[in-house]
Amino acid sequence: MRAFLYDRPTAVGEAVAAVAADPQAAFLAGGTTQVDLMKDGVWTPDRLVDITRLPLRGILVESQQLKVGALTTMEQLAAEPVVEQRLTFVREALLLGASVQLRNMATIGGNLLQRTRCRYFRDPTVSACNRRSPDSGCAAVDNVARMHAVLGVDERCIALHASDVAVPLIAVEASVLVDGPSGQRRIPLTEFWVRADEGPSIENVLGHGDLITEIDIPLLPQGWRSGYLKVRDRASYEFALTSAAVALQMDGDMIGDIRIALGGVGSVPWRAREAEEMLRGTHVDPVRFEQAGRAVMASAFTVPGTAFKVDLAVRTLSRQLLTMTEASR
Amino acid sequence: MTATKPDLGTWVGKGIDRVDGPHKVTGSAPYSSDIALPGMLHAVVVTSTIPAGTVTKIDTSALLTLPGVRAVFTHENFPRLNAPPPVLFGEAPVAPMQDGRITFHGQEIAVVVADTPQEATEAARLIEVTYAAEPPLLDPAGGRLETLALSPDTSRGDTEAGWAAADVRVGATYTTPENTNNPLGLMGCVAAWDGDHLEIHDSTQGTNALRTTLAVMFGVPESGVRVHVPYLGGGFGAGLNQWPYKLLAAGAARELGRPVKLMLTRPQMFKLVGHRPSSEHQVRIGAARDGTLTMIEHRATCLSSIDFPAVGLLTSGTPHLYQCPNVATVERTVRLNRRYPTSMRAPGEAEGNWAIETAMDELAHELGMDPLELRLHNLATELDPATGKPWSSNAVIECCRVGAELFGWSRRDPRPSSMREGDLLIGWGMATAGFFAYMPMSQARVTVYADGTAAVRSAATDIGTGTYTIITQLTADLLGLHPQQVDFQLGDSDLPASAHSGGSGLASSLSNAVIDAVSHLQGALLDLAAEDSPLHGLGPDDVVCRDGALCRRDDLSVRVPIADLLAGQSLVEASGDGRLRPPDAAAAGMVHAGAYGARFVEVAIDPMIGRLRVRRVVSVTDGGRILNQKLARSQILGATVGGIGQALFEDTLTDPGTGRVANGTFGDYLVAVNADVPEIEAVFVGEPDRYTPSGTKGIGEIGLVGIAAAIGNAVFHATGRRLRDLPMTIDQLMM
Ligand SMILES: Cc1cc2nc3c(=O)[nH]c(=O)nc-3n(C[C@H](O)[C@H](O)[C@H](O)COP(=O)(O)OP(=O)(O)OC[C@H]3O[C@@H](n4cnc5c(N)ncnc54)[C@H](O)[C@@H]3O)c2cc1C
Ligand code: SF4
Repeated sequence: MRAFLYDRPTAVGEAVAAVAADPQAAFLAGGTTQVDLMKDGVWTPDRLVDITRLPLRGILVESQQLKVGALTTMEQLAAEPVVEQRLTFVREALLLGASVQLRNMATIGGNLLQRTRCRYFRDPTVSACNRRSPDSGCAAVDNVARMHAVLGVDERCIALHASDVAVPLIAVEASVLVDGPSGQRRIPLTEFWVRADEGPSIENVLGHGDLITEIDIPLLPQGWRSGYLKVRDRASYEFALTSAAVALQMDGDMIGDIRIALGGVGSVPWRAREAEEMLRGTHVDPVRFEQAGRAVMASAFTVPGTAFKVDLAVRTLSRQLLTMTEASR
Repeated sequence: MTATKPDLGTWVGKGIDRVDGPHKVTGSAPYSSDIALPGMLHAVVVTSTIPAGTVTKIDTSALLTLPGVRAVFTHENFPRLNAPPPVLFGEAPVAPMQDGRITFHGQEIAVVVADTPQEATEAARLIEVTYAAEPPLLDPAGGRLETLALSPDTSRGDTEAGWAAADVRVGATYTTPENTNNPLGLMGCVAAWDGDHLEIHDSTQGTNALRTTLAVMFGVPESGVRVHVPYLGGGFGAGLNQWPYKLLAAGAARELGRPVKLMLTRPQMFKLVGHRPSSEHQVRIGAARDGTLTMIEHRATCLSSIDFPAVGLLTSGTPHLYQCPNVATVERTVRLNRRYPTSMRAPGEAEGNWAIETAMDELAHELGMDPLELRLHNLATELDPATGKPWSSNAVIECCRVGAELFGWSRRDPRPSSMREGDLLIGWGMATAGFFAYMPMSQARVTVYADGTAAVRSAATDIGTGTYTIITQLTADLLGLHPQQVDFQLGDSDLPASAHSGGSGLASSLSNAVIDAVSHLQGALLDLAAEDSPLHGLGPDDVVCRDGALCRRDDLSVRVPIADLLAGQSLVEASGDGRLRPPDAAAAGMVHAGAYGARFVEVAIDPMIGRLRVRRVVSVTDGGRILNQKLARSQILGATVGGIGQALFEDTLTDPGTGRVANGTFGDYLVAVNADVPEIEAVFVGEPDRYTPSGTKGIGEIGLVGIAAAIGNAVFHATGRRLRDLPMTIDQLMM
């Protein structure tokens, strides 16, 4: 049996110190990623610092933003009325993720830090995985890849960041508050994750012992609408093949302003700025929707199993834009 | 067979609740995973990480110093076993861990035994194995084609002449991927020896075949081997074979002199207990302008493992469903360095039907004929077209007509892409289905007691299908009792021998064995009647049991309480032993018919994003006599869900270079979930089958057959796009 130490601190400082002091320690929140990886033998920390007793649960509604404690569960955040009204696509992304049982365990902080679902990463008997062991190669590129990324990847790693809620969160430019060995800092989500093609073994900018304490989510301005479309093989309980988070504000029959992010395609949740720029201030035009999608996907790196995702992502975005602009067509 | 038709009808057919239901929902039903014996150790299987070669070294010394670890078995110290015996069905592939030879990625190469499962798991993880790898045979194109024992080539008429004579011809290749059975219950066992006596609690679908296998392979008397499986968390075929894990647990337990428990993990369920192998079908069908079939040719290939062939049966339905003078079937397999295949719910039939019923839809389209009309025009309902003999029953036409009526098929606009709802394309598709008749031997004993209660005993299994309940109902009717007065004991190889739950054969086999047993019980009770008894001199078929009394069949008021008959001879019980008997002469001239069905499906497709949802299923089945309406319907519902999975999701993927299962978890291997399952209307038609007294047909598998083709045909109707490769995924459906 693999023994490990288990701490359950009640103060943020203690938790940070406990992990910072032990290079083999890891935080444990809802455990829906962490425990799976331990059972699979992918990740074998010597010390688990359970953070679920820290006072980081709950949602503070301010006039322009939500301050969400990192331990707030996916279900709790989805149930918040302001999220339903002002961040519809966040609610939709949450409720289309995992299952209700998982969402009652899984925390928002943990969700942003979930590890890739790549089956080669999650099977330690496979030796070639640059993400797990640097410079060992990438088994996925030569084998079975479907639930893998096509943006922000190259032949060294095609791991997908599979979070749903991170997609609308990056579209609204949420940020995280981090408490770490060297004090507190704020990191915008647009700068939080590291693309696989920038180094397959580093997933985000957090250092060892850094604890996310809060996620600050700007509310969409009045008059904006938002929606999340998740495309997957089966109707429920599956990660996205592709997804599109869109928030927009119509100006007559013109798109006044727009935010777009794509899921299921990137090694990080993918903000689609090119598409936003192509659509901002334009008339509703299906052809342009498709062109905008193509522009985002232009830099795709595909393997045979993921090639269809380029087209599917374009269509997913188009479908979501069409749905949201239906009244103006 | 006994000539007299049994009196059935009070309980048989009624949709009563499962008699084992309370045990299951309260958690008191002991599955093999629940068994804990004093002194029991826990074993974990270690599997190979190469597909071909030999194990040159496994260093176990370090493992033995780990906390709790008691032993590590490898091919070097695992006991030598005898070769597996042939058994009725589902033999052991090979004796495991006899040498270091590796024939597939994921093969059992070591067993770690420890005080706790956690200790064994961790030690198994740390094991270091050195291999001498050999180039694996993983590409079907490089393998040699072999015939399959259960699927001989068949031919009637002249298919080339039929092809030449056809006005309309279709020909295409259809494929199905590997599917994994995946019963929800993880399989495993607890084995305990006492000298040469072995008791094993296992998740087998057949107790007697396992008993024989263990006795032969360990070289001990079969009389001393006992298999228990009172409950099983599903099987779908994964529990049919005598898989290595059972032998490994028994071998380890024998060596260590302590009970050993070995449970598989979910990833191991993808490689160690079989699967439905992938298959390819080349089909040609020709027809005259009016739709009359002139030829069918069905050539199919599936994959096998090096040491163990597939079951096949891909073409077994093809010669029988349609009247057609010229039919040829050819079936081959290719042996590769891949894990062992086995039967999975509707083995072969589910795949072959996908090919044939899709081709029939293609033919209907080419003919400009309604697909249902094409079926009705050609279905063989009176005589089996392969033998020319009459079917013992065949209501496939009724299946089609009732299904069409319930579905509203007549409102279908035949033109592809003609039915729309906003952005959605709506498609209606149908397929017919057949499933072979299979009825292996079973025995049963029926015992009555002075208090008026009765027991039925048989070594059969209930894999969740409802065996406990249907046999209880049947026996209640045969003895004129309430089901609560009947106790059916099963799942123990010391009881009268029984067939496995498989091939949809158990309900028919066992119900007829019970009917025979009751007849013998009546004879045994008559034997007890004194000379002055009103029943004296009657034959076993002249009497029936009713409410604890033996009665004249033609005058139930002439009755003697069973308690009195027993007391008269100082007995406390009386029993009758029965078995499945060959059909009598009248039935012998017939062809034993299996179940039939017709499936009607509506799909909605968003062509932009390739999203397909099944919206409606009407499934009509000719299942002969239905023993319990509720449980039978559940079988069809569950099989329909399996069919939706086969059609749209299930696909066990293999790494091309190593033969490793690439998606062996429930996160990666998709089965249908609730949200994928629409309203299903499941209806039974037809009459009790004439072949046996019980009149039943197997219905455990037929419900899956035809679903994939009906969905695919609906996809064509919705979109005009013909899909020939399962599963039908989004990438194939984007338009
Ligand atoms: C079967 C299954 C299906 C799923 N489907 C979906 C889906 O469809 N969509 C989706 O978006 N997600 C899905 N998920 C992922 C799930 O949402 C994440 O596992 C979950 O959100 C992680 O949260 P947790 O609290 O359980 O984190 P944990 O597992 O406890 O932690 C995850 C990681 O984050 C670290 N960590 C946790 N909290 C903090 C913190 N505050 N500061 C610093 N580090 C921290 C941990 O050390 C660990 O490395 C699925 C998961 C499973 C198992
Ligand atoms: S895709 Fe990335 S995570 Fe997956 S095997 Fe390759 S390197 Fe590892």
